[in-house]
Amino acid sequence: MKKYSWIAVILLIVGLMLYAKPWSKKSLPSNEFRFVIVSEPPTLDWSLATDNVSADIIFNLMEGLVQYDANLNVQPALAEKWDISKDGLHYTFYLRKDVTWSDGKPLTAQDFVDGWQRLLDPKTASEYAYFLFDVKNAQDYNSKKISDFNQVGVHAKDDHTLVIDLWHPASYFLTLHAFWATFPLRKDIVEKFGAPQWTEPQNIVTCGPFKLKAWEHDYKVVLEANPLYYGPKPKVQLATAYIINEDSTALSLYETGKVDLIRRIPPLLIAKYKNHPDHKNGPFLRGYYYGMNVLKKPFSDVRVRKAFSMAIDRTQLTTLLGGNQIPTTSWIPKGMQGYEPEIGLKFDLDKAKLLLAQAGYPNGAGFPQIKMAYDTRDDNKVIAESLQQQWKQNLNIELTIENQEWKVYIKQLQTDAPPLWRLGWGADFPDPDNFLNLFTSYSGNNLTRWKNKSYDALIEAGAKELDISKRLPIYHKAQKLLTEEEAPIIPLFIDAQNVLIKPYIHGYALNAMSINILKNVEIHK
Amino acid sequence: MSETLKKSNSRSLWQDAWKRLFKNKASVISLIYIVGIILVAIFADVIAPFSYETQSPQDRLLFPNTTYLMGTDILGRDLFSRVIYGTRMSMSVGIIIAFCSLIVGTIYGSLSGYVGGRLDNILMRIVDILYTFPSLLLIILIRVIFGPGLFGIFFALTIVEWVSVSRIVRGQILQVKEMAYVEAARAVGVRHQTIIARHILPNILGPIIVTLTFEIPAAILSESFLSFIGLGLQPPFSSWGSLANDGFQAFKSYPYLIFFPGMAIFLTVLAFNLLGDGLRDALDPKLKNT
Amino acid sequence: MLLFILKRLFISIPVIFILATLTFCIMRVTPGGPFDKDKAIPPEIKANIEAKYHLDKPTFINTPAFYKKKWIHVLTETQYFYYMKGLAQGDLGPSYKYLGRSVTDIILDSLPVSVELGFYAALILAAYKHNTWIDNAAMFTAISGITLPSFLVAALLIYIFSIKMAWLPAGLWDGGWEYKILPTIALGLRPVAIIARLMRTSMLDVIKADYVRTARAKGLNEVWVILKHVVKNSLIPVITISGPLLAGIITGSFVIEHVFAIPGIAKHFILAVTNRDYTLIMGVTLVYAVLLIIANILVDVFYALVDPRIKLS
Repeated sequence: MKKYSWIAVILLIVGLMLYAKPWSKKSLPSNEFRFVIVSEPPTLDWSLATDNVSADIIFNLMEGLVQYDANLNVQPALAEKWDISKDGLHYTFYLRKDVTWSDGKPLTAQDFVDGWQRLLDPKTASEYAYFLFDVKNAQDYNSKKISDFNQVGVHAKDDHTLVIDLWHPASYFLTLHAFWATFPLRKDIVEKFGAPQWTEPQNIVTCGPFKLKAWEHDYKVVLEANPLYYGPKPKVQLATAYIINEDSTALSLYETGKVDLIRRIPPLLIAKYKNHPDHKNGPFLRGYYYGMNVLKKPFSDVRVRKAFSMAIDRTQLTTLLGGNQIPTTSWIPKGMQGYEPEIGLKFDLDKAKLLLAQAGYPNGAGFPQIKMAYDTRDDNKVIAESLQQQWKQNLNIELTIENQEWKVYIKQLQTDAPPLWRLGWGADFPDPDNFLNLFTSYSGNNLTRWKNKSYDALIEAGAKELDISKRLPIYHKAQKLLTEEEAPIIPLFIDAQNVLIKPYIHGYALNAMSINILKNVEIHK
Repeated sequence: MSETLKKSNSRSLWQDAWKRLFKNKASVISLIYIVGIILVAIFADVIAPFSYETQSPQDRLLFPNTTYLMGTDILGRDLFSRVIYGTRMSMSVGIIIAFCSLIVGTIYGSLSGYVGGRLDNILMRIVDILYTFPSLLLIILIRVIFGPGLFGIFFALTIVEWVSVSRIVRGQILQVKEMAYVEAARAVGVRHQTIIARHILPNILGPIIVTLTFEIPAAILSESFLSFIGLGLQPPFSSWGSLANDGFQAFKSYPYLIFFPGMAIFLTVLAFNLLGDGLRDALDPKLKNT
Repeated sequence: MLLFILKRLFISIPVIFILATLTFCIMRVTPGGPFDKDKAIPPEIKANIEAKYHLDKPTFINTPAFYKKKWIHVLTETQYFYYMKGLAQGDLGPSYKYLGRSVTDIILDSLPVSVELGFYAALILAAYKHNTWIDNAAMFTAISGITLPSFLVAALLIYIFSIKMAWLPAGLWDGGWEYKILPTIALGLRPVAIIARLMRTSMLDVIKADYVRTARAKGLNEVWVILKHVVKNSLIPVITISGPLLAGIITGSFVIEHVFAIPGIAKHFILAVTNRDYTLIMGVTLVYAVLLIIANILVDVFYALVDPRIKLS
């Protein structure tokens, strides 16, 4: 009996070995770059994509009228030059004439009009249609108030000239053309295959440095150098994105040489890898803050809000995280115009205690039992626990922590926000407006319920002013109002990117928007 | 006369069981271990050298040493103390959930198995539905309703766990029900309650105890799964599962963070299993006849 | 027998229907929807999205239709009715997270991977079973399958075999057999342990049973006694739980697929819920339900085959 079963086991193992491919320690092909993305891209349809993972792929398949350089300055891409009228209402883009799509058809201005029409079409139901709402009649077309797209302020004057009319000047408008939602589109392809099938490898037509070679859903996305790309050809033939949700698995695979780049290091380990030769670190236009519900006691009192903000030693948090995050008391992040680190409520215990006493809670006495909330994630947990301890030590106030699953959490913040909660904000485009707009009274993203007319006026004035030297003083005032005088939020730190990249990979540059650009990647040992 | 006979009879049954249990070394060691762990859970405040929440930022991520027996975590908290307090959480989660699901599951399963027929069919279809129901949704919803505290976890896991108990109990009852002595009892007109209490339950006690020894550790493991997907206890509280999960991402660089809580889970679950085996052998009514 | 199977399948239809309805309800009362994100969407755009995915209709009862006295529309112009209508035609709808991808496609892509992994795990199970009652040491190994959370088992395996020994990859699913070993062990250990323990328990029960003693007393060959009477009869409790266990192995384990980066279906049981991807939640739940129903029918058939005392009703 025992003997037979062992035979069965051996047969089984042999069978498995025959069935499967033999173990090959193949040396890696020198023309394949392998990197990790953290989830399945929800879509590769750039009219619909809203997330960073989709963007990691799309930015290599496609380009816009303009693109960012490593310092996030706007550079020509599909447009070789452009004119902006003095009043800032009319844009004329002149397209390059040597751009062809991956099926050989030349790129025309009409492809942009088609892309925008699809983006704004209510039937497409694109979440990011609002990025074009500064364009004449775009919002009305999107909300079905008009049905003739010719009335919308975007036209192809000829095959290589695109004309855009805006309602009002918008200082950030140029940067929007580096954003995937505004990319051109092949209407014939989309109509032929329909959504979402048109983004499958055998159907999709693109004009960026790479083509989509394969998309094994939930497993990997393979990009291949596009021979018809107008610019210098990518140095790598293949770029494979493995979909790995678990950061520690990605790390193990990196260490065992299965992937060449990981862009997330588990928070516990950053300190360990900080001195590793493969470790690269860079700024990230992403702020991390705690917001307060100013409609509810005790944070309806500005003195309490200030006291809470002043009672935090932010360097303790960044030490905990250990990845070169920058402690901040102001809101516009480093790397963006308008960054002014001196603004904001600095760590000042005496003042914090005084303010708290003035508000009627001397040494924390009589302070109501309140909750601080965060969404479940390792780093959020560590930060919440550290803050809880700091407020307890410094203000003698004991808060209870409550964590919620992300969707429950976000719903709760939007409907009935707890007194104190955490969120982050990442830049859609590198313009101060994208950060400060968040806390206007009309912003859907302002979950503090703080409403301030003069703040709103400042932000509107800033958006319409095209001269940066005149904008900066406006933003200076706005930031002071937001983080010093009224303090509905407690800015904590500016995030950082921490990546591990193999020494034989060259030409992968970090930028503060964390845009994943692969066209310059080279492999040589 | 008959009264005393009965008494001595039953006493000897339990005495026999104890005797048999004590002959089984693995079970005895496990029993001692479990009693010890329960004492640790009760007297956590006395045993733990530090508070579970005191952070000392200068002592972050230290490997085990003489001050910090199991090292410290990312916030500079003593891992030993956290494991000790974690014992309280894990054990209460395990025991409470196991008993609740055992009670619900046994009643439901016996009813279904004993009555049989159409009722059995309906009850089992309900179990089928509950079994396939996406329990994660339910757990999230319960957390929203009851808040993310301990009670929510008890409630949520009981709802998830009792279903499998009821299936096992039903299977056992189906088997025992057809036994000659049960049929005989029924033929003589013994009341249903008596049949269940005197003839059926004692005969399925073994499997039920085995199930209990499955359920306590299963609940401990389920709670650690909840921690893994981010639906576990609220900080700064910790259970073995949440501690192990905290250390999971760094198992290569800081193995002690996952080793000690992992070891606590391993030993405890193992002890319950071994004790369960021993108890089962000891309590088996059939052994009495041999 | 055939009649029994048909009858059970017939009974299953309302079970599936109730399950779908219940899941639908719980899904909708759970806070947060598929399009709730930290970046707020302007109301007109939200309206477009809801129109596209038929989320603009009332969930269960169309009250405006009631006031307009369009009686049929009260129940038919609802999200629930539309979904059920689609379901009856075998249409599981589009995913809300993987924009527009059909849920059927997602399941067809991911289920085979989990089935493949489950098949390997079941092979371990088959190979192992014969040894259990002979080999106590193997029993102890099996116990580690139920004494550790699966993320710890996975971490341990990766630590030993991928990082320390560098024998096997720490994840991925690239075709070669070396990718299958660690996840197979990690997935198979638990069911092996559970079955092994149950077998032992009930085997001891049966060994002491009268008919076994009789068989032995008759001087029958020991192996024959064990095979014919002991194994066969002690299978009953094992079979009881093997239905769910089988369905569980086929649909895999979230933790294993998550940790080893395997593109299987088990991932979706968790991710669909955290994404509130309503149609996908429903899709994977129904797949699991169907598998479980089939497994349970098989179990009941086996019951009858193994133990003639149990009648198929």
